[in-house]
Amino acid sequence: MSSLDAYFMHEVANTPRGRGVLACIQCGRCTSSCPVAKVIVEHNPRRLMEMIILGLRADVMLGPVPWYCLSCFTCLDRCPQGGDIGEAMFAIRNLAVREGNIPEGILTQARSLFETGRVVTSSRMALIQREKCGLGEEPRIDVEAVQKILRKTRFDKLIQRDR
Amino acid sequence: MNFVRYAFFLGCLIPAREPNYENSVRKIAPKLGVELVEMDGANCCAPFSVQSVDYISWLALAARNLCIAEQMGLDILTLCNDCYESLLMTNMILKEDRETREKVNAILADVGQQFKGKTDVKIFSDVLYEDVGLEKVKNAVKAPFNGLRVAVQPGCHLTKPKRIHFGERTGVRALGELVEVTGAKSISYSAKDACCGGPLRGINDVVASDVAKQKLDSMKAAGVDCIVTVCPFCFLELDRGQLEIKRHSKEEYGLPVLHYAELLRIAMGMKLEDWEMKTHKIPIIKILNTVEAK
Repeated sequence: MSSLDAYFMHEVANTPRGRGVLACIQCGRCTSSCPVAKVIVEHNPRRLMEMIILGLRADVMLGPVPWYCLSCFTCLDRCPQGGDIGEAMFAIRNLAVREGNIPEGILTQARSLFETGRVVTSSRMALIQREKCGLGEEPRIDVEAVQKILRKTRFDKLIQRDR
Repeated sequence: MNFVRYAFFLGCLIPAREPNYENSVRKIAPKLGVELVEMDGANCCAPFSVQSVDYISWLALAARNLCIAEQMGLDILTLCNDCYESLLMTNMILKEDRETREKVNAILADVGQQFKGKTDVKIFSDVLYEDVGLEKVKNAVKAPFNGLRVAVQPGCHLTKPKRIHFGERTGVRALGELVEVTGAKSISYSAKDACCGGPLRGINDVVASDVAKQKLDSMKAAGVDCIVTVCPFCFLELDRGQLEIKRHSKEEYGLPVLHYAELLRIAMGMKLEDWEMKTHKIPIIKILNTVEAK
């Protein structure tokens, strides 16, 4: 068992979108409504909240735990406490990213965003189809503005693999 | 005809993967009195994946899009549930939270923008239901579907979380009504509110497929002919997802998926082109046979 970090709950609570962890009463309503918890045992929002409250920082931050949630927000509407675990997932992920814990799929989208202003770029097929039906080129994106913003927020540093 | 004008926010996924969706919207909108005004230079809405990396980056990128619409003096019309959620939530946060607004505006100043909170965000089904109205949509139907049994797939962010959907605009019920004026029948099924699994595609494919299977099982049990959605992520997950599921578990659903805009376009008597039919991995030809020509 890893060591406990007594301040972990507050670290999450003080990260944007993380406030809800302070309200959790461990009722489990989030888990009973979670579509991912229905199909795999590794994801259990109530237990995740418990791990945060107890201070199991390394267990939460360094493994796959932050990356099972679909952000469907079902739990957000179900939580009787305004505990917002579905929102807190973003706080947990933002913290995990700063520990270098970021799945390849997210990284690919984030890099594409920085380079093109889009998280998804066109397949050649789609471009041919656009041409055929007269939709023309994709709408213009001001990539320079996107990069200016993302440099300022240091997003570009966050998505470098070998920091 | 009186036209309503909107700043047209297309996002990334639709032009890149589903030009068939965009094409149908561009074909039907003018006939229903909706004018789509292009948003030059607009960037990605900053969905799930971007929000997962950094809070302020998300807000600043989404806010830049809101600013462009503000300058146009128009509300935004989006075709995607994820763009809808990202832009709506950003609009709400920046209107309510002064400290964050100032932080974001300091970043936006570098690209010559400032968030003022003067625009609203709507999704296509909102505009059809609220601005165009059911009556007018119904009158535009020239080739109604003959009792086609439809599983409506609203997608999570059309209605969730409740706090950003003040008064729950079109919602699930309205989408059902929009389907029924085309002559199709919206069939009730148990997993209607459930997620399609799409957000985890490419991140955790096993979970994505397992979640999609629950949904498809429920639709199949209700005995539907096809799925109709308003969300491009749900479209990809439920259409291409069926191929993934077939490859891994041999389970075959054979449920065609249509965008609502395509369903309405067909019912308005406008045929889909060959390449559009081919963007559907599960063939939609049998749906077309249920159209009654008037």
